[in-house]
Amino acid sequence: MFVVQGQLQHIAFSHLSVITSNFKHQTSNDSFIYATGNLDLQLLMATLLSHIIGEEHLILSNERTLFWENERTLIVADLHVGKTGHFRKAGIGVPAGVYKDDLHRLLAQILFFKAEKLIIVGDLTHSIANLEMDLFRKWRKDFSSLDVHLAKGNHDILDNRWYEEADIRVHNEPLAIKRFLFVHDILKPRLKIEEGQYVFSGHVHPGITIRGRGRQSLRFPCFYFTHDHCILPAFSHFTGTYHVELQKGDEIFALVDKEIVPLHNKVINELKRK
Amino acid sequence: MGNELVDSPGYKIIIQWLSKKGRHPFLFQQQSWQAIIDGKSGLVNAPTGCGKTYSVFLGALIDFINYHPKDYATKSKNGLQLLWITPLRALAKDIGRAMEEVIEELGMAWKIGIRNGDTDTGERQKQKRQMPEVLIITPESLHLLLAQKEYASTFQSLKIIAVDEWHELLGSKRGVQVELAVSRLVSLAISNRQLTIGDWRYATGDGQLATDNKQSSAAGHQLPIAHCPLSLWGISATIGNLDEAKDVLLAPLKQKGVIIRADIKKPIEIESIIPDEIEKFPWAGHLGIKLVHKVIPIIEQSRTTLIFINTRGMSETWYQKLLDASPDLAGSIALHHGSIDMDLRQWVEDNLHTGNLKAVVCTASLDLGVDFRPVETVIQVGSPKGVARFLQRAGRSGHQPDATSKIYFLPTHSLELVEAAALKSAIEENFIESRPPMMLCFDVLIQYLNTLAISDGFIPDELYPEVVSTHCYKDLTPDEWRQLLYFITAGGNALQQYDEFKKIEIDNGVYKILNRRTAMRHRLHIGTIVSESMMKVKFMSGGFVGVIEEWFISRLQPGDVFTLAGRNLEYIMIKEMTALVKKSNAKKSIVPSWQGGRMPLSANLGKKLREQLTEASKELEAKSQKSKVKGQIELEVLKPLFALQENLSHVPKANELLIEHIETKDGFHLFVYPFEGRLVHEAMAAILAYRISRITPITFSLAMNDYGFELLSDQPIPVDDTNVYDLFSPDNLLADIQRSVNATEMARRKFRDVAVIGGLVFQGMPGEKIKARHLQASASLLFNVFSEYEPNNLLIRQAYQEVFDQQMEEVRLRDMLQRIQASKIIITFPQQLTPFCFPIKVDSMREDLSSEKLEDRVRRMQQQLNT
Repeated sequence: MFVVQGQLQHIAFSHLSVITSNFKHQTSNDSFIYATGNLDLQLLMATLLSHIIGEEHLILSNERTLFWENERTLIVADLHVGKTGHFRKAGIGVPAGVYKDDLHRLLAQILFFKAEKLIIVGDLTHSIANLEMDLFRKWRKDFSSLDVHLAKGNHDILDNRWYEEADIRVHNEPLAIKRFLFVHDILKPRLKIEEGQYVFSGHVHPGITIRGRGRQSLRFPCFYFTHDHCILPAFSHFTGTYHVELQKGDEIFALVDKEIVPLHNKVINELKRK
Repeated sequence: MGNELVDSPGYKIIIQWLSKKGRHPFLFQQQSWQAIIDGKSGLVNAPTGCGKTYSVFLGALIDFINYHPKDYATKSKNGLQLLWITPLRALAKDIGRAMEEVIEELGMAWKIGIRNGDTDTGERQKQKRQMPEVLIITPESLHLLLAQKEYASTFQSLKIIAVDEWHELLGSKRGVQVELAVSRLVSLAISNRQLTIGDWRYATGDGQLATDNKQSSAAGHQLPIAHCPLSLWGISATIGNLDEAKDVLLAPLKQKGVIIRADIKKPIEIESIIPDEIEKFPWAGHLGIKLVHKVIPIIEQSRTTLIFINTRGMSETWYQKLLDASPDLAGSIALHHGSIDMDLRQWVEDNLHTGNLKAVVCTASLDLGVDFRPVETVIQVGSPKGVARFLQRAGRSGHQPDATSKIYFLPTHSLELVEAAALKSAIEENFIESRPPMMLCFDVLIQYLNTLAISDGFIPDELYPEVVSTHCYKDLTPDEWRQLLYFITAGGNALQQYDEFKKIEIDNGVYKILNRRTAMRHRLHIGTIVSESMMKVKFMSGGFVGVIEEWFISRLQPGDVFTLAGRNLEYIMIKEMTALVKKSNAKKSIVPSWQGGRMPLSANLGKKLREQLTEASKELEAKSQKSKVKGQIELEVLKPLFALQENLSHVPKANELLIEHIETKDGFHLFVYPFEGRLVHEAMAAILAYRISRITPITFSLAMNDYGFELLSDQPIPVDDTNVYDLFSPDNLLADIQRSVNATEMARRKFRDVAVIGGLVFQGMPGEKIKARHLQASASLLFNVFSEYEPNNLLIRQAYQEVFDQQMEEVRLRDMLQRIQASKIIITFPQQLTPFCFPIKVDSMREDLSSEKLEDRVRRMQQQLNT
């Protein structure tokens, strides 16, 4: 059965230097870092929270990723690579800096956790191919040892060849590893969840609205955990959030600035009252 | 002065025609005609229904006849002569009809055309081949003309631009659109003139005047001093800043121009609907339903009555209550507001024309537009918030010549009656609000640059002087101009070699949009009116009911019953961006509260209110001396209320600021009454809270209405004689605003319009389904991204500026603080809630309680008070 031990565990960052040296080691001359400027060390700072499902140990990061320790696998959802480029190509001058940051953050997360595998639960790319996606592939090459899997999402509309060239394994059907199942949309029709299976999905871009007095409200992206599935927050900062209502027995981990804040119904009600 | 009007052939022909109809021109019309044939520009100030259209239109005809005295009647295909800009589509048809009538009766060959969103493609094509002599157009459609290739030829023969209802456009982004279009047309006219040798005024001219453009001709006609062969005429109702209105419009001409005032005063009769027993009339409220029985006889006695309600939600309630109170009215009363289906609204308007309706409950949706002759009476429910708006609404009645406009004021709570007295006095003194023009709207400018880029392109160095010749952009710095150009050509910050930004391309120094799809998308987005994202409401069985804000629907559960267009509807589901409903017989329903429309009390009305309170205060003093001072009826009626207020606390005079410290079981209240409108009070409450919290750590909750505001705390509030002037000091205002008010959230809301107008948010277009969806991002998300990655972006800056100018009315806030510094601050300590603080107290409860419970609670509180 399913056991949750939501424990706050702020891991202080002591081995920053190790990470940066590691980072230098991994990147080549013609690499991502030169293409996009310097890496902001601030991004390597992470607030973490451990979460256990049965035998499996997970670490929630405030950078909107989930690390599956047992399998040394980083799980992310809704990267929407190329979204700024798509807008810009259409004449909407969205600052491309947000995409650059997204890549930096992903890089930092992979390095930080020393991940061997990356599972994207859908919407790796935003729309039709553009140059920003080429930048992503270039970046991908710097992590040739990283095993990348994509549970195909509705935005993943590129040719198969593109994924082959990027060395990304695409899964049209839900991807099952041990007791976990990875799928883009938990509401996918005819999705079969077997007894004891736990699902990780994206698509929703979940956000929790906290209302205060005087009609003030704030919304934060969040992880949404139920007894049999987890919806991840959208990784990209160039994504909106969809308001989710917390159902009884479920748990929400809101990403408030640099913090991960576990929210139970009680807490939300308390906040509403204040 | 050059040519005398009365000697000119055109004048004689027009006068002849008029007298055949038994009519004579007004003085202001003759003055306008003289000015027009002199080639002058300016502003005609005349109320509606007084022949303001004729002042400019007949002037244009006289001018034309003067230049073609022999063949004026037969001359056709003269090209565009008069461009008539009007804010309202609905007005275009009526004005066009009136003009056609004149042309026909004069036996002339001029054509009158209409160009707006309703004009079909065939008509557009026809206009493109041969422009009519007069084109009646909206600001948006004018910009669409500027988006056409080789648009310059369209305006080649243009002589006069008339801007109708300029007071409505001024102070809005549509007004800015007019300013920009005018700057372009003026510039075109000047370069045209430089190109044309010979006749500068009528390229196809045949008259004796068409020989020399340097000296006066034999007939004594003189060239105007102006360099621009284009006359520009604004037509405006009375506003507080008429001179400025004229200067804004004429700025690109670099002329002073003239103001021609119609000295016609339309008689207005204002009557308050006075509750029978003022003691039992609620001290707080916002609906005024209690007086519904007084409205029925008014409706019955008048041919047609318009009942103006301030919000759409309240108009729905009023419509229901009128029917409940007088079921006989069914079928002869109707509801009209912005969320009702266009066809239904049109039906209501048609029936207003024919006089088939006894009464229409309406909102600002009927403020403007064509005159409904059968309307004899207007009822204003609740505060009109401003003098101009009240006058405008009053003017909707009594359209027969020499008829009186009749307006009733229906208060929704006792104290509001003072507003009626204030309005009367303001109207007597013609103390009308100003319409401050908007400044530096980067969003409108970006849109305009794109517009020019899809037609013939532009050269920045040539366009810049034109843009800064307008009033709106006169302070645009070269640096800001460069930033704008950078934004539309390079899209701001980019990823160098991985960037594919494409909007405006530079082709031999000419800035152009070459991509057809981008051009088409832009064409669909020209305009500055940004509506809430609305959802259609349809019956399951088919049939369109109206539209409603998406956020309202999103809060409904299937089975919920709500009211729209006077009908109770049960919500079933959302399908294809349409809310499906069915009829419901449920007694209870949710009345949607539409966002927006919460106008603050105007500065002018606020000032008049304070003056009326001075009167009330004097009367109280006089009463004690047993002398008889005759005041306005409303003040007379309110005497018991004022007496109680004076007894408990104080009735402040215009040169006083009243502050009340009251302790209740809720905590410690501080009430302040500046009478400066909700927005100023909101900002002031936050600033005051912040300033007090620097004296001592303290937390407040805030509430405000148009009369004053409240700070509530669980500990005593340290405001007294020793520090009160410092707390209301104008020093460090800007810094204190920034520290106390959450400007970011306000700017985020403002950014929505800015982003749509500036072309960052697209609604998508037909035939582009999936990919168009991939181009959608909410304004709020864009605000986040820009704030973080490009905080200096001009559109972000503009959003904040709009917050300061409009949301906080910073100028007015500062004026208020200066006024307070010069006045006497009176601090009282009433033992219980006072009549003044009551409406604010109730407003603050509205935040937490549902409206029904609220009513009960208000009643209970009032009972406690009266005993």
